Amino acid sequence: MLAFAVRRIAISIPVLLVAAFVVFALGTFAGNPLDPLLAKNPPAPPNVIAAETVRLHLDQPLIPRFFSWLGGLLLHGDFGPSVVSTQDIGAELGSRLLVTLRLIALAMVIALVLAVLVGVITAVKQYSITDYSATFLGFLFIAMPSFWLAILLKQAGIDFNVTVGDQVLYTIGASSVPPPPDTWDRIVDILGHMVLPTISLALISYASWSRFQRASMLEVLNSDYIRLARSKGLPRRTVLVRHGLRTALIPLTTVTALDLAAIIGGAVVTERVFQWKGMGDFLLTSIQTDDVYATSSWLLLSAVFVILFNLAADLLYAVLDPRIRYA
Amino acid sequence: MTRTRAASLVAMSAAAALVLAACGGGGGGGGGQGGGGSSTATGLFQNCADANTCNAVPADQLKQGGQVSFAIEKNIDNWNLNSSEGNVFETNMALKPLLPYTFITTPDLKSTLNPDYVTSADVTSTSPFVVTYKINPKASWDDGTPVTADDFVFNWKTQDGRDCPACETAGNGGYDQIASVVGSDGGKTVTVTFSKPYTDWKGVFNSAAPLYPAHIAAQHGDLNTPAGLKSGFDYLGSTPVNYTAGPYKVDSWQPNVALTLVPNPAWWGTKPKLDRLVFRVITDATQEPLALQNNEVQVIYPQPQVDLVSQVAQIPNVSQTQGLGLTWEHFDFNLVNPFLADKALRQAMYTAINRDDIIAKTVGQFNPEVKPLNSHMFIPQQDGYTDAVTPTGQGSGNIDAAKKILTDAGYTGVGTALVAPNGQAVPSFRIRYTVGNAVRQSECELFASYVKNLGINVTVVPTDSLGKTTSSGDFDIIVFAWVQSPFVFGGAQQLWLSTSGSNYGKYNNPQVDQLINEAAASTDIAAATKQLNDADKIMSDDAYVLPLYQKPTFVAVQNTVANVRNNSSLDGPPYNAAEWGLRSQ
Repeated sequence: MLAFAVRRIAISIPVLLVAAFVVFALGTFAGNPLDPLLAKNPPAPPNVIAAETVRLHLDQPLIPRFFSWLGGLLLHGDFGPSVVSTQDIGAELGSRLLVTLRLIALAMVIALVLAVLVGVITAVKQYSITDYSATFLGFLFIAMPSFWLAILLKQAGIDFNVTVGDQVLYTIGASSVPPPPDTWDRIVDILGHMVLPTISLALISYASWSRFQRASMLEVLNSDYIRLARSKGLPRRTVLVRHGLRTALIPLTTVTALDLAAIIGGAVVTERVFQWKGMGDFLLTSIQTDDVYATSSWLLLSAVFVILFNLAADLLYAVLDPRIRYA
Repeated sequence: MTRTRAASLVAMSAAAALVLAACGGGGGGGGGQGGGGSSTATGLFQNCADANTCNAVPADQLKQGGQVSFAIEKNIDNWNLNSSEGNVFETNMALKPLLPYTFITTPDLKSTLNPDYVTSADVTSTSPFVVTYKINPKASWDDGTPVTADDFVFNWKTQDGRDCPACETAGNGGYDQIASVVGSDGGKTVTVTFSKPYTDWKGVFNSAAPLYPAHIAAQHGDLNTPAGLKSGFDYLGSTPVNYTAGPYKVDSWQPNVALTLVPNPAWWGTKPKLDRLVFRVITDATQEPLALQNNEVQVIYPQPQVDLVSQVAQIPNVSQTQGLGLTWEHFDFNLVNPFLADKALRQAMYTAINRDDIIAKTVGQFNPEVKPLNSHMFIPQQDGYTDAVTPTGQGSGNIDAAKKILTDAGYTGVGTALVAPNGQAVPSFRIRYTVGNAVRQSECELFASYVKNLGINVTVVPTDSLGKTTSSGDFDIIVFAWVQSPFVFGGAQQLWLSTSGSNYGKYNNPQVDQLINEAAASTDIAAATKQLNDADKIMSDDAYVLPLYQKPTFVAVQNTVANVRNNSSLDGPPYNAAEWGLRSQ
C-alpha cells in the first residue's frame, strides 16, 4: 500500500507543475498588478512604478518568471512577492489554512453524520413521508444559493438574539474584538461565532451528500448479496450496517474526499459572508488584486490537498471493501 | 483526472470570486455636505443645521467607558500613509487618532487647524514664500519625545522626491516645492520656505499626510542619507504603529480582523470617553448592515446602494445620513481620436446628454439631493464654486440644440448617420466603464442612447482594468470618478494641465495651463479663485470633460453613539474620533 501511495504522489507531480504553470500564465495575462498604482490620483511617481515593476519581476518574460518563482518555492520555501509588499504569502497561507480548518471541521463532521443517517433512512424507507420530506429538504438546500442561505441564517440569528434578549449568535468573524478575558466566556464567544457558518456549510454539504448516500444505499439494498444475506436469516441490523452500509459508503467516500479538498481550498462564499479570513477569502482577494504569485501559491496548495484527499479516498476503499487490495 | 479536478476547482472558485467581486461594494471614500439638513437623514441626524455639529453631545454628558466599533472595508497592509501602498482611505481613517498633523478637513469640507498639535500656522512672508508653524508645547510622542521640527524635516525629505529618490511615496505634490524646513525655539517653531508661492500650502503636513516620528525612523537608518531615509520610511510602513501622539494608542492589531485602540495616557488634550475604539475589517460592504443590526459594529460607512440604504432604514435604533462629497463622476473624451478632436462634435454630444435623467436612473434612486455638478474646479461646498457648465447647454439633453451645433459646423446626416464636414462618416465610438459597476454601465448605455439621436453610434465596452485603460488611452469616451482635492489649486494642476499624468484624454489648451499654473503659485486667494473659474469657462466650452454629479457618502450609527457624523472628505467620520462616546441613557 505504501508503494501505491508513493507512486500516486509521484504521478501527481507533473500534473501539479502543469497546473501551476497554466494558472501562473492565466493570472499573468488576466490583469496588471500595477493597475491600482496607475489608477491612483494623484498618480504614483514614476520611480514608484519602476520599483514595483522590478519587485514583482514584471520586467522579466513569463517563462523565466515562472521558473524563478518555482525555484524559489522549491529550494527556499519562498512563495514569491505579493502585490502587498508587507505580505509573506507562505505565512499568510498558513494562518489562513488554520482559519479555514477551524471553520469547516465541525461543519463537515455534522454534514457527514447527517448525510449518512438520512441517506440510509430514506433508502430503507423509500417513498415514505420521511423519504419525501428529506428529499424535499435536500433539493431545497441544493437549489438554494449558498450566499442567500447564509444571509437568511444571519437574519435568523439576529432575530434569535432579539428574542432571547442577549447577544448569543454573531454574524461576522471568528471571535469578538477584543475577546472576553474569562476562559469560559471566551469559549462561549467562539461557539457563538461558529454556529451560523457551521450550519450554513453543513447544510450545503449535507444536502448533496445525503442524496449520494441514498442512491448508493438503494443500489446496494437491491443487490443479490444483500438478498442472500437476508435469505440466510441474518438480523436486519447486521444486513443493513455490516453488509449494506459499508459497501454503500464507497461512492460517498469519493465525493466527500473531493468536496473536502475543495472546501479546505476555501469555502469562498461562506467565508466572505461571515467574514472569516480563510483560504477562500485569500483567493478572492488575490484574484481581485491581480496577485499572480499569491493566486498561484493558493492553487498549488489547493491542488496538493486534492491529490492527498484523492489518495486518502483510494486507501479508504481498501478499508471499506476487503476485496480491494493495493499491491 | 487530478488535473481535471484541480482545474474544475480553480474554475469554480474563480467564478465564485468574480460573482462576489461584482456584488461587493466599494469603499466609502469621498467627501460631502456632511448630512447638515439632508433629506436623507434619519434619527440623530435629522434637523441637523450645521454639518460640523450633527449628533453632538458634550463630553460631560457622555458615559465614561464602553466601546465603539467602526467598520472599515480594507485590511491595513501598509502603515505609512505617505507611501504609495499605504495611502489608502481606510488606513487613513484608522490612523487618524494616532498621528499628528497640521490641518484637517471638517464635515463642512473646510480645512481647519488642529490646535492640539499646532497652535498656529501662518504665511509669514510672501517673498520668499514662508510658512511658520508653532507646535503645541505639550505635543509629544507617547515615549516622551516631543513633536518637533525634526518630524517635519523627516516627513518633508522622504516626500520631496530629491532627498530620498528611492522612497516609494504616494506623491510629491507640495513637498517638492519646499526649499528648506528649519526648527527653532527648541524645535517647537517650524519655518518652511517654499521655492515659489504655493497657494495650497495647507495641504502639506495635513491630516492626509500626517507626521511620522523622526526619532523612531532614525533608529533604522541615518536620516542624513538617502538610504537611511528610505530605511526609516519603509520601517514605518511595514511595522504596525506602536507609537502615538494622538488621543488613542494601539492596544492590538489582528491582521484582517481589527485594530483596537485604547486611550493614550500621555495625551495632553481632552481625554477620550471610550475605553476602546475598534476599527473592524469587514471587506464585504453588503454584510455591514447585518453586523450593525447585531451590534457587532456601531458605525458603518459603506458606499451607498439602493438595497443597502433601504436595508439600514429597516434597522431599529439606527440613524443614517448621506452627504455629497469630493468624489465626482464624469464623462471624458479622448481627444487623440481625430473625430473627437473637433470641438463642435464634442459640444453636440455633451449637449445631447441629459444629466438629470442619468441621475434619476442611478444614484437619484436613493438620494434625491444629487444634482448635476457644474464645475471642473470646485464642488458646491467649496468657496469659489461657479456654474460654468449650464451656460454652455451641455448636459441638458437638448437634442435640437445639439443637432443645430452639428448642422452649423457643417455636419450632414444629423439624426441618421452623421458625416463630418470633410465628408468622412463619423465612426462608431467606444465608451468604457469598469466591469461590474452597474451604475456606470447604466450611464454608458444612457450616453449611447442620447447620442443615437444625433446619428452617432456608441458601443459600450467594459474594462477590467480602469488604470490600464486610462493610462494607455484605450478609449474614445470613458466614465469614471475623480476625488476632488480639498486643495483646489494643486488639484487643478493635477487633473487639467496638459503635462499632467492624469490628463488621459490629452487635453491641451495653453491658456488653461497658464491660468491654472498662475493660480497655484498665487499669494492672493481671491485672484487665484477667479483664475480657476476663468479656466473652467474655457474648459467647459472646450467640452473635454462633462461633470455629472458628486457621489453620495453614507454613514449609519447605533443611536447610542454620540458625536459620530458624516465627513465626506478623505478624513472620513473618524476625523473627530477622540470625541466619540456613548450616550448616558
